[in-house]
Amino acid sequence: MKQRALFSAVLIGGLALTGCGSASEPGSSSSTGGSTDKLVVWDWKSGEENAAGYFEQAKADFAEKHPDVTVEFVAQPFDQYYTLLGTAIQAGEGPDVVMFNGGGQIRDRVDALLVLDDYVADDRERLAGWEAFSKDGEVFAAPLTLQGHPIYYNKALYEEAGLDPDNPPSTWEDFVAGCESIKTKTGAACIGLGNKEGYGIEFFLSAMGSAVLTPEEYDAWIAGDRDWSAPHVKQIFELWQTAGDTGLNNEGANSTAMFNDSFAIFQAGEAANIIGLMSDIGHWKDFNEFLEPDNVGVMPAPVVNQEATPSLPYDGGIGYAVMNWTPNPDLAADLVRSLTSSEALEAFYADAGAIVSDTTIDVSGAGPAVSTIVGELQNGKQALHVALSSQTLDLMHRLSQQLLSGSVTVDEAVEQLAASDEAG
Amino acid sequence: MVGPVGGTETRAAGDRSGPGSGPQARSRRRNAERWAPYILVAPAVLIIAGLRLYPLLLGVNFSFTGDGDRNGQSVGLDNYVALFDDPLFQQALRNVGLLVLLLPVAVAIPGLLATFIYLRVPGHRLFRSVYFFPAVLSPVIVGAIFNLLLAYDGPLNDVLGTVGVAPIDWLGDPDIAVFAVVGVHIWATFGMALVVFLAGFATLDPTLLDAARVDGASLQQVIRHVIVPGLSRTIQFVFVTTMLGMLTSMFGLLYVMTNGGPEGSTYLPEYYIWIQQGQMNRPALASAASTVLFVIMLVVGLAQISILRRSGKED
Repeated sequence: MKQRALFSAVLIGGLALTGCGSASEPGSSSSTGGSTDKLVVWDWKSGEENAAGYFEQAKADFAEKHPDVTVEFVAQPFDQYYTLLGTAIQAGEGPDVVMFNGGGQIRDRVDALLVLDDYVADDRERLAGWEAFSKDGEVFAAPLTLQGHPIYYNKALYEEAGLDPDNPPSTWEDFVAGCESIKTKTGAACIGLGNKEGYGIEFFLSAMGSAVLTPEEYDAWIAGDRDWSAPHVKQIFELWQTAGDTGLNNEGANSTAMFNDSFAIFQAGEAANIIGLMSDIGHWKDFNEFLEPDNVGVMPAPVVNQEATPSLPYDGGIGYAVMNWTPNPDLAADLVRSLTSSEALEAFYADAGAIVSDTTIDVSGAGPAVSTIVGELQNGKQALHVALSSQTLDLMHRLSQQLLSGSVTVDEAVEQLAASDEAG
Repeated sequence: MVGPVGGTETRAAGDRSGPGSGPQARSRRRNAERWAPYILVAPAVLIIAGLRLYPLLLGVNFSFTGDGDRNGQSVGLDNYVALFDDPLFQQALRNVGLLVLLLPVAVAIPGLLATFIYLRVPGHRLFRSVYFFPAVLSPVIVGAIFNLLLAYDGPLNDVLGTVGVAPIDWLGDPDIAVFAVVGVHIWATFGMALVVFLAGFATLDPTLLDAARVDGASLQQVIRHVIVPGLSRTIQFVFVTTMLGMLTSMFGLLYVMTNGGPEGSTYLPEYYIWIQQGQMNRPALASAASTVLFVIMLVVGLAQISILRRSGKED
């Protein structure tokens, strides 16, 4: 085992070195930045077919402002992306503009990045998702896409069950009552849930959190001030357990994979509601294809506590940042602005089906679900589970399965989570 | 070592009578011959020492350093304390114990089937190839197949439903999932053990079987008093390799079928190592876990060999 681990370490190291070598081999003039009439961009999207239109638009926008500057896009393989970038940061030279995932990936590397606040001031209103690319109040990248957890519902099943498909339940009691009719009249499960890997609880916590916690509790959670023994926090886990015990979920949730068996259950019309994603996979575009756009609805989280204000949980997905060694920061920042221009992002939305950061883009043609999501972005907040460490999330995965099978109580679960959260 | 050295001396003694062999040439040749065995085994020794033992020591050494903020610092036994405090690792160790308990089953199945093939039950030619078939499939494919078969709304539960058995959550019930995965692992790998058993049977003296039959021994008696003692070395080999296989090559199945779940009930040390190293970014803790796994395998392997050797002698 150990030999194998070491061998793979050597292999990966070797790959990283050769990968880096091939990217920087042609010298600083070609793949690494450093010259004033040329910018080099690293990402993992520019090679993808459905992003071609986006890059065309962004390049055109930039060429208009700076006709004599060439831009080179270097598509790196995603599984080695941060290893390659780490090597470049160690060396203190490399690309001028780089793509980042929001959250931990960018926050761990802000020392090598340019503070963008002054450059993107005009875009702050137009784009959403800045928090995921900020640290200590400073912005380090401009968001491209958004990722979050809307609650989708199948309007056809709602109608069949005698419920009003255009007025989804706004309180948890109504939701549970609706579930009864759905189960008896359509035979479908109320909630499609895949919790084999334990991701189900992450989605549930984030989607339902704003319907249980007060806005103050919610903001404190995101800020790192988490009281796991607070009654409202416990209530989220009680809801999770009760939903399982009272048969709201599909059968065998603990052995159903979220990717993509649970989404398949929803797409097949075997579950009336599901907590999905906004971009990439398990999202409105996938559901539209199977259920027809007019049958896919998005509802705000049904209110559990009257003091709570439901909001859409979402974070910045991917974005572009500027390395602090670039000789011409103005030029690089201008490129980032072109990469987040409305025209470019509109192309990205249309071709790749991603919810992009630009909230002014007209999405009315893609069905009611996406319109609702974009409409909710204004009031949306960061997702609760994104604030937790990977250790705590891993523990929560297992505890969520134990809550469903009844081998642990809510009190025991939050106690363990609190201990893990404090340690992490 | 004794063999070649003895040979050298004999040959050198023979050379003494040969014509045209001065003392100088003789000593040069003796020198070369003395070094030859070392040079010949050098590549193997260097490979084992450089690519196996040295990394092993590096790994053990690494397990005494810290993770994260304490990266590179010596932390003594902290990782091992954390390891044995972790309920997940305790679960993984309990599962190792379970595997040891299930080992006789995993060895008996190919052993019995090989016996039937050796005794030429009707259709034994067909069975010989059919039994080996799963062994050529990758664990990922086997896992994917059984994911479908064992799904809550899958075919197995449908079949059980037709005879009135309530559906069982094969991979979602923590008390059942580990047996489901081990069962699939045995199904997927027993073909290899079967082949080893058949090879063992080839060395069995058929006259003993004939003699037993003439003496009126029943099938049970033949297996108990002729086949098992005759195959004791083969059984010993299969025991050790099956145990090692269970401890080190179930990763693919676990990854595809259960992800260590539900509730961490199917964790094995190997899967734990991967999670800590790859997902939790705690390579030093993972090193400590792999050191523990190495020691377990060493102890279990040696214990098995000594027990089986003793029982082989009694027979």
